[in-house]
Amino acid sequence: MVCGGMEPDHHHINGDLAHGFENMVCVRCRDGFSMQDQMVNSSGEVWHSDCFVCAQCFEPFPDGIYFEYEGRKYCEHDFHVLFSPCCGKCNEFIVGRVIKAMNASWHPACFCCELCNKQLADVGFLRNAGRALCRECNEREKAAGHGRYVCHKCHAMIDDGQHIKFRGDSFHPYHFKCKRCNVELTTASREVNGELYCLRCHDTMGIPICGACHRPIEERVIAALGKHWHVEHFVCSVCEKPFLGHRHYERKGLAYCEQHFHKLYGNLCFRCGDPCCGEVFQALQKTWCVKCFACSFCDKKLDQKTKFYEFDMKPTCKRCYDRFPTELKKRISESLKDRDVENQRRSMSPAPK
Amino acid sequence: MPKDKKKEEVTEVEHVDRNITLFSQVSHMIEAETITRLTLSHNKLTALPANIADLISLTSLNLWNNQIEELPSSISSLPKLKILNIGMNKLTILPRGFGSFPVLEILDLTYNNLSERSLPGNFFFMKTLRALYLGDNDFEMLPGDVENLENLQVLVLRENDLLTLPRELGKLTRLRELHIQGNRLAMIPPELGNLELIGSKLVLRLEHNPFIPRLQEQFDANGAAGVWSHIRTDDYRYFFGRQEPSSTPVPPKRNKEKKVSRKGIQQA
Repeated sequence: MVCGGMEPDHHHINGDLAHGFENMVCVRCRDGFSMQDQMVNSSGEVWHSDCFVCAQCFEPFPDGIYFEYEGRKYCEHDFHVLFSPCCGKCNEFIVGRVIKAMNASWHPACFCCELCNKQLADVGFLRNAGRALCRECNEREKAAGHGRYVCHKCHAMIDDGQHIKFRGDSFHPYHFKCKRCNVELTTASREVNGELYCLRCHDTMGIPICGACHRPIEERVIAALGKHWHVEHFVCSVCEKPFLGHRHYERKGLAYCEQHFHKLYGNLCFRCGDPCCGEVFQALQKTWCVKCFACSFCDKKLDQKTKFYEFDMKPTCKRCYDRFPTELKKRISESLKDRDVENQRRSMSPAPK
Repeated sequence: MPKDKKKEEVTEVEHVDRNITLFSQVSHMIEAETITRLTLSHNKLTALPANIADLISLTSLNLWNNQIEELPSSISSLPKLKILNIGMNKLTILPRGFGSFPVLEILDLTYNNLSERSLPGNFFFMKTLRALYLGDNDFEMLPGDVENLENLQVLVLRENDLLTLPRELGKLTRLRELHIQGNRLAMIPPELGNLELIGSKLVLRLEHNPFIPRLQEQFDANGAAGVWSHIRTDDYRYFFGRQEPSSTPVPPKRNKEKKVSRKGIQQA
């Protein structure tokens, strides 16, 4: 492509030679030569010396140096302007060896590692986030950039915590503008239905905010305790396990799992002390697990249909009651009678202040 | 093989009303390390062996209606025992260190011959105790140490010989059942007014006490709720503070000769 400079032969036509050139014509203007004409001979072709000029600027070649390309001759300057690659670093023309890399051309001396300035022409290079780096610097950058996001648009590393997520990829926020108010976005922006909004606009759009993490809820929304929650952020206020759709209990503005609610607010089985799950017996001002409701004296299981007696507010099966000493049964029946009489009397007379 | 398996699964043992007189009659049927419940109600045991403490998984022991006069002190070391019923026996004393049960929640000592003199010094240090049944015993007073039973929800002192109650009872804020009927109480310390005992799921039994007139009037008119609201008044607080303990005659004890727990017991 580049033919390089060559020293053309310059001949002054003198009398001795003139005879032989009578039939010659100038390559450029196709005229013949008179005896006075100065003649240029180059590679077996001849020109008037006025015609032997740069095909671009029509000036004689400085120092007689020309460059030939596709049959035309150019002075050095115009040849470079028209055909030479430009160095991606110093913007000068490149003569001689050209390094083509990173979608640009480079002087071998100009193509250097962006971090340590080492020449890369002979040692090779590695692409790293849009930069050409030597092997060593690339390794170092890779180690330093481990765990950081690379912007999906500009391919540069994003400083810790300075990325935004958009359609599943990470970006510098400044590549985007708010869909609504056109302000350049910061990390405090939100994606809603595939569009990005600044926080201000987002907050006026009525998107539920999680009561725990204060971030918008884009998937399933749990409404409880007068707030909205991410499914995984709606947790028992004691054990902090998410309910994940399981039953929860509310009391005094807090939510509890079954176990901790019962632990704090009753419905603990009087016998085993654990929260009663599922069906319970309510009797004698107490709560029992179904499996724990039994005669206090012989541990015989009782169910809804079994008749039982009350003794010190403990369930008592008929057999055990019958086996109470006579004197005790007498006292019990007397006190029951008294209680009945008292209740009757009190319910009949108007309640005094 | 299936037999072995079945044996492994038997963790609850019940021998009710079998005329058992010695614990050794059942001990061979018990897998000491795995048994969780042992019910020997309505038998004729007079004592328990010290190795009862080997039943390390036992959570419930029911000895209602036997003839036990004394307990081994090792019983308090049962590491998982939550429910102990030794009611309707012939206990006159509890062993030293009886209060050292680590996890006991329900203790039933109803219908024995126990009094404040029967209790070892650490009796009221059972922090896990939820229910204490001392009905049908011989208590004339209750030590103020009772305030240490900070988890107590149920306290039954029915039909003892109590003349007074300790003001420290007012510190048992978890109490939801108090049975003090059938005693010799003339007054109730105003501090007990701290206790929330009137309402649903709450029990307060006061009847059959020789109350002073102002309490009896309240009881006759409005029952336990009337008494409780009265002891909360400044008027009563003032009145209570000015009473000389000896100013009222001591009412007689109830006749307990017919109590079956007395039979065969030497009365002091």
